Amino acid sequence: MSFPRQVTRADEKLGAILTQMARLRGRLNSLAIQHAVFRVLAILLVAGAAIFAAANWFAPLIFLALSAAISISAIAATVLAVRIGWAMRASAVGAAQIADERADLKGRLATIVEVAARPNRGALWPYVVEDALAHREEFNAARIERHRIERSVWMLGAAILAAAIVIPLARAHHPDLLAQNDQPADVTVDLDDLHLRPANSGDSAGLEMQADSATMSKLEAKLAREGLSAGAGGVQAPGGILNRARTLASRVQNKLRGDSAARRHRLTLKLADTGGDRASNPRGDDSALRRNHRRGDTAGQFKSEHPAGQEDFPLPPIDKSARAHDQSHPSGDQGGSLAVPDSGESDSAPEAQSAHDTPDSRADQASNGGATHGIGADPDSLFGAPVSSRMTTEGFEISIEARAMEHGAKGAGQAYLPPKVRTPLSPTQQPDEPIARAAVPAEDRTTIERVFER
Amino acid sequence: MSELAAVETPTVADFARTFRRVQTEIHKVIIGHEQAVEELLSALFAGGHVLIEGVPGTGKTTLVKTLGLALNLSFNRIQFTVDLMPADITGTRVILSGADGRREFTFQPGPVFCHILLGDEINRATPKTQSALLEAMAELQVTVSGTTYPLAPPYFVMATLNPVEMEGTYPLPEAQLDRFLFKVRLDYPDEEQLVRIISSTTGAEEGRVEPVFSGAEAPALIESLKKIVREVIAAPAMDQYAARIVRATQPEHSRFVGASPRSLHDEMVNRYVMFGSSPRGAQALIMGAKVRALLDGRANVAREDIEAVAVAALAHRIMLNYAAHSDGIEAPQIVERVIKSAHAARV
Repeated sequence: MSFPRQVTRADEKLGAILTQMARLRGRLNSLAIQHAVFRVLAILLVAGAAIFAAANWFAPLIFLALSAAISISAIAATVLAVRIGWAMRASAVGAAQIADERADLKGRLATIVEVAARPNRGALWPYVVEDALAHREEFNAARIERHRIERSVWMLGAAILAAAIVIPLARAHHPDLLAQNDQPADVTVDLDDLHLRPANSGDSAGLEMQADSATMSKLEAKLAREGLSAGAGGVQAPGGILNRARTLASRVQNKLRGDSAARRHRLTLKLADTGGDRASNPRGDDSALRRNHRRGDTAGQFKSEHPAGQEDFPLPPIDKSARAHDQSHPSGDQGGSLAVPDSGESDSAPEAQSAHDTPDSRADQASNGGATHGIGADPDSLFGAPVSSRMTTEGFEISIEARAMEHGAKGAGQAYLPPKVRTPLSPTQQPDEPIARAAVPAEDRTTIERVFER
Repeated sequence: MSELAAVETPTVADFARTFRRVQTEIHKVIIGHEQAVEELLSALFAGGHVLIEGVPGTGKTTLVKTLGLALNLSFNRIQFTVDLMPADITGTRVILSGADGRREFTFQPGPVFCHILLGDEINRATPKTQSALLEAMAELQVTVSGTTYPLAPPYFVMATLNPVEMEGTYPLPEAQLDRFLFKVRLDYPDEEQLVRIISSTTGAEEGRVEPVFSGAEAPALIESLKKIVREVIAAPAMDQYAARIVRATQPEHSRFVGASPRSLHDEMVNRYVMFGSSPRGAQALIMGAKVRALLDGRANVAREDIEAVAVAALAHRIMLNYAAHSDGIEAPQIVERVIKSAHAARV
């Protein structure tokens, strides 16, 4: 026979066990939630960092493919992590079974949790409760599950660390050159000399083309001839889809990099038509036009096919009024996505540089100026580093050096060393204008004559 | 005598202590066979019967006799032969002269009326005779000529089988086999055990078995111990575990039922088993597990208890096909395989 007090005590003991089990269950479920949350965060962080790095490191199409793969993997991993977390959650019986297994309690707790709700628990029920309570220390929540924080937190930590390393590296890999140039570029090119090819979709951002209606229609006609106009079915073609993909990827990349349209350098590309119609160049900006022919490379989509250094096309008369404007933008190289990397430097360079130019360096610069004629036409330097032009308003020097030849003139006592002739440019001298012949010194005149006679 | 006599209702500790005492007494005579003795006693306290299989000379009969002595219960032995008749087991009505000289039919109880019955080489009798034990084993009663005679509890049948000499034997029908709670296997003793057997049986002194219970109280005390076994709590999950194990032995249900994706499909059962265990197998699992739980000082059944008695409880209930015989597969292997799968799957 059992007395009420005994019943109460038995219930108290049962309550103590169930409370301890509830505590354990709470801890297990907390770990399950933590598992899911930490893993999902880690996955998202790593995926985000990887996409950001891909945006900075890879071309648009590769970026698109990579980011799609990363996104799919991240979604799959997230679903898996959530499912594992969900499976890790413990019911009351489940928590009891875990405690039984870990504390080797041989089903004591699971039996209590399962049978506690029964109205008729059997004659040995008090013994079962007492027996389980005797093992109370063994199924303490802290003993069954030592961790309060799920071990996935290390994964999250590793993800944060990885992101902290990758994101600055990715930023460093993609210097924001465009942001360095605040001055808008203004370039004029000859329509007839344009070589047209499909551009990278993202490259056209920031490009503004200006021309009179006749020139624009000629451009349209040219595009149509070369099958590049949008109306020519380019969008429907596989290449068009590819371009759209590029555009999309490029936009995403720009957003990820933080390249807003406002920050991008605007390039105004003015088209001129020299093919007989002089009226198509209303401003008569011939110097700019010529400059672009010299530089060759014109903003990716446009490039001159003239060989380096050759100026075999008929140059229009030089408009002197345009020179000042031309010299303020001496560089015509607009590599990549129409960025003008050297414009800022070259604006202020001439004055500053002329102060410390040595004769030798001037000679180098002059020869350098000659070399840059081929940039753009030369495939090696087409996408190479832009070479800044070092032309000064004072003029330039051309140094001619010659060496003595041992197999030169027979019987000559010594080789002829040509004199160094330095001719200062006039202030109105164009950099590529032919230099006026210098007068041969009287002492050398006889020698030269002798050479030519021989 | 027994401390149990003073105990009205035995506790878990009383059960374990009594069990160990009986075990100790038996091992005074029986060398080795610890597991067999434990299973034998488990079946006794679980209220079942035991089929003992072993080659001749492994101590089958000695074991049963020793158990009877230790428990201080009435003990009968029937040597089954091909010409043994059912009436030779159950008893028959015979004409007896009364004190007044009148002759009347009186029921003469057979050897089945006892507490512990040893059916030696049960497979030598015809199925008809073997079946004479069915009613006694299942319902603790014997019906002779329309009259039912109850058997006094505790009633415990131990039958022995000789697996080697199969000529002239009658395999036990499945219905008969199913009545045995456990099938206990007696193997050859190892060298050390054999040395001890030699020294203890060939010397001047013989092992003396002290009865654990007094003659008059023994049946009641054993019944109270059997009662406490039934009081052991088996959680629903344990009943389910036993049920799934039993179903897993059935070829048509060899897949562990349940929605768990970890459910297993045991090819071995499909390939080698003709008929799986009956529901009595599940009962045997739980009853045997309850005894083991009490021996471990617990009043609840654990998975480990069920797994520990699975081979003894299920092996003789599984009928193998010809493929198993040709491949040398035996029923205990099937049960072990099922248990291994179940343990891994945690069904």
